[in-house]
Amino acid sequence: MKARFLAKMLLVTAALFLAAGGVSYAKYPEKPVNMIIAFTAGGSSDVQARIMQKYWDKHVNQAWTFIYKTGAGGAIGFGEIAMSKKDGYSIGGINIPHIVIQAVTQKAQFKLEDFDYICQVVNDPQTVAVRKDSRFKSVKEIFDHAKANPGKLKLGLVGPNSGHHLMFVDVKKKFDFPVTEVFYKGAADQNAALLGGEIDVMFGNLNDVMRSLEEMRIVGVAAEKRNDFLPDVPTLREAGFDVLSDIRRGFAAPKGIAAEHLAFLRDVFKKICLDPEYLKDMRVAGQPSEYLDGPDLLKYMISLDAVVKAAFPQK
Amino acid sequence: MNEFFMPALLNLCDPLNIFLMIAGLTGGIIIGALPGLTATMGVALMVPVTFAMDTTSGLIMLGAIYAGAIYGGSNSACLICTPGTPSSVATTFDGWPMCQAGKADKALIASLLTSAFGGMVGVAFLLCLAAPLARFAVKFGGPESFWLCLFGLSTIAVMSSGNMLKGLVSGAIGMLVATVGLDPHGAAPRFTFGYYPLIQGVEVIPAMIGLFSFSQVLYLIGSYKPYIAQYNPTPGAFGQVVRELAGKCKIVLLRSSLIGTLVGMLPGAGGEIAAIIAYNESKRWDKNPDRYGTGIIEGVASSECANNAVIGGALIPMLTLGIPGSAVAAVMLGALLAKGIQPGFKVFTATGDLAYTFIFSQFAVNLLMIPIGLLLIRLMVRLLSIRLTFVAIAIVMLSVIGSYSIRNSVLDIWIVLVFGLIGYICNRIKLDSGAMALGIILGPMIEENFGKCVSLSKAVDGSILRVFMDSSIAMLLIFLTLLSLCTPFILNRKRRHAQKHL
Repeated sequence: MKARFLAKMLLVTAALFLAAGGVSYAKYPEKPVNMIIAFTAGGSSDVQARIMQKYWDKHVNQAWTFIYKTGAGGAIGFGEIAMSKKDGYSIGGINIPHIVIQAVTQKAQFKLEDFDYICQVVNDPQTVAVRKDSRFKSVKEIFDHAKANPGKLKLGLVGPNSGHHLMFVDVKKKFDFPVTEVFYKGAADQNAALLGGEIDVMFGNLNDVMRSLEEMRIVGVAAEKRNDFLPDVPTLREAGFDVLSDIRRGFAAPKGIAAEHLAFLRDVFKKICLDPEYLKDMRVAGQPSEYLDGPDLLKYMISLDAVVKAAFPQK
Repeated sequence: MNEFFMPALLNLCDPLNIFLMIAGLTGGIIIGALPGLTATMGVALMVPVTFAMDTTSGLIMLGAIYAGAIYGGSNSACLICTPGTPSSVATTFDGWPMCQAGKADKALIASLLTSAFGGMVGVAFLLCLAAPLARFAVKFGGPESFWLCLFGLSTIAVMSSGNMLKGLVSGAIGMLVATVGLDPHGAAPRFTFGYYPLIQGVEVIPAMIGLFSFSQVLYLIGSYKPYIAQYNPTPGAFGQVVRELAGKCKIVLLRSSLIGTLVGMLPGAGGEIAAIIAYNESKRWDKNPDRYGTGIIEGVASSECANNAVIGGALIPMLTLGIPGSAVAAVMLGALLAKGIQPGFKVFTATGDLAYTFIFSQFAVNLLMIPIGLLLIRLMVRLLSIRLTFVAIAIVMLSVIGSYSIRNSVLDIWIVLVFGLIGYICNRIKLDSGAMALGIILGPMIEENFGKCVSLSKAVDGSILRVFMDSSIAMLLIFLTLLSLCTPFILNRKRRHAQKHL
């Protein structure tokens, strides 16, 4: 009897505390936030968001509800973010340049202006990779060989109309690079083709080539500075080829959510991105972190928009 | 290598790991048996849970779910003619007739035992021959994949030996459906009729659910039967099935598990293709191919054996090269990478503890599958004693929820309804929906690999044909395809010959 009374008292106190807590924090967010992911569960984008969630839970007492809207290289999910309710309870992961290219080349259901950008979290640079037993030891050797044997060198890309394709168009514009390009559906197929000898060289994301590092040689990184994951690999710029190309991940909300909600989200995401524990987790998962705040991300995307429009025909 | 064996076995005896295997298997079988909930989804849902576990236990659990789900698909394939996962499409060909003949228990036990056997063979290859097989798998490029798909497609001729024209028409319709969406080379939208979501194409799983399961509901409701099928449990069914499998099915089992392992290793080709190829090979080499499709144990055995052998095969390039051999293996790779485990041949030395524990757990899982499966079969056959109207409602509900949940797209619900009608009409006018399914599954792969070959031909002197026939694997596949195309004619001659001598 006494035990029961005690238990009841405890419950009541707990409830009171919770209610008090609720009142004093009756601020955004009051319920779980929908996190729209445009790629399959278990994919790189999902894994990154899951790592992020672990740290979100430290700062905010409302969890994320993951919603997977996959298809059309992410365009379905990005469209879903743009069209979701502007109440601050729907945000999602975006991939760049996919989102920019889709807005330009397909009749995608979104434009760059349809989003409020929270921040950028990953910058995964493109690399130039060959098989371990390849005769090419440097980027220069590859370019020289291509020039000497026009059309004979087989280059693998993921695409078409992808970040890889964009890099290829850029390289072709700047340098004499007569190769035969072959498009693959995804990084797994592309890696297999390189290892099996169907292609000689490939442009591939760092995160993707790291999976088969034992069998591949990375000869160049298309970034401004050398990557922490591969400190011995020179940048393309160091090798004399001024090419920058990467795939970035970020988070966005539909355009027009309340200013204080956007500020709150930006603040929490920034705190997570600077957390050393988070950075360590990202490193273990092979995800190259790079934080950029919302306005800077938008600036970058607008500049990219011009590049994409110059590279691809518009529909 | 051997120094890891004992610690790995000890790891397995950890009560937590045993619990995870049993729980994973049970959950997997149920997920697999429910139409629309696939192995990929089951594994993907559990990946976040593994983040909180240690890597070995997490991997063991995912592997158990994978094996369970691929086997579980056969339950609904036999009982309600609905492949629970796309891998068990071919199981319906003989499993469903067996069920209708009142031999549901035998069909279910046969698929359980052959699944376990196929799974073991696949894992044995993973254990013993991972390195050379991985090297072989990556040699399978554009031309080889193209011919393999054509070989798969050529089996339409064998499947529909009764009426080849109708078979070809259905196959062609399937391939036409496969062209909807962005084209894989120029990224031009095709047949989207201005409706944006169609840009992602027709997803295979909802189309299969529509063709096989929803159409089956329409048929069952039109049949005025009170129950799906009469069910008379045979006393001693288990012993009978074991004897039959160990006797006349030996060759079928061996061949199907080899086919399963090989197809599993190839990136892009998964359980559904392995099962269909294995089924057709069993049919082709049988003395009396016409028995296939009438409800014989060999048919169920070849399909189920092959799709479980795919698991071991798909893990070979995933662990050694970081290239997943199936969609589920891709999800598991994601889980491994999130833990910071680098795939590579080193996986067997640097992280040998993990690799061997996982491989041994797969053996254990396939053994545990037999008692757990037997228990669940007892529950599942009860389905046959539920009134048809209730079962039909449940199937429709599961089909719709399952299809929607694959990519949370309302479009997929429409696909189920439309393909349900198509499947029903096909049934009425005797068009072969199996051939149509083959077209839908293989169409995109044929197109993609054909395009790759055309691209590659720019770097080769001479004609495009040189790319297509450059390797010995490609030549072998061309030969097999031609042989397969001739089979119906040879069979016809045999039959006429036999009739003359009657």
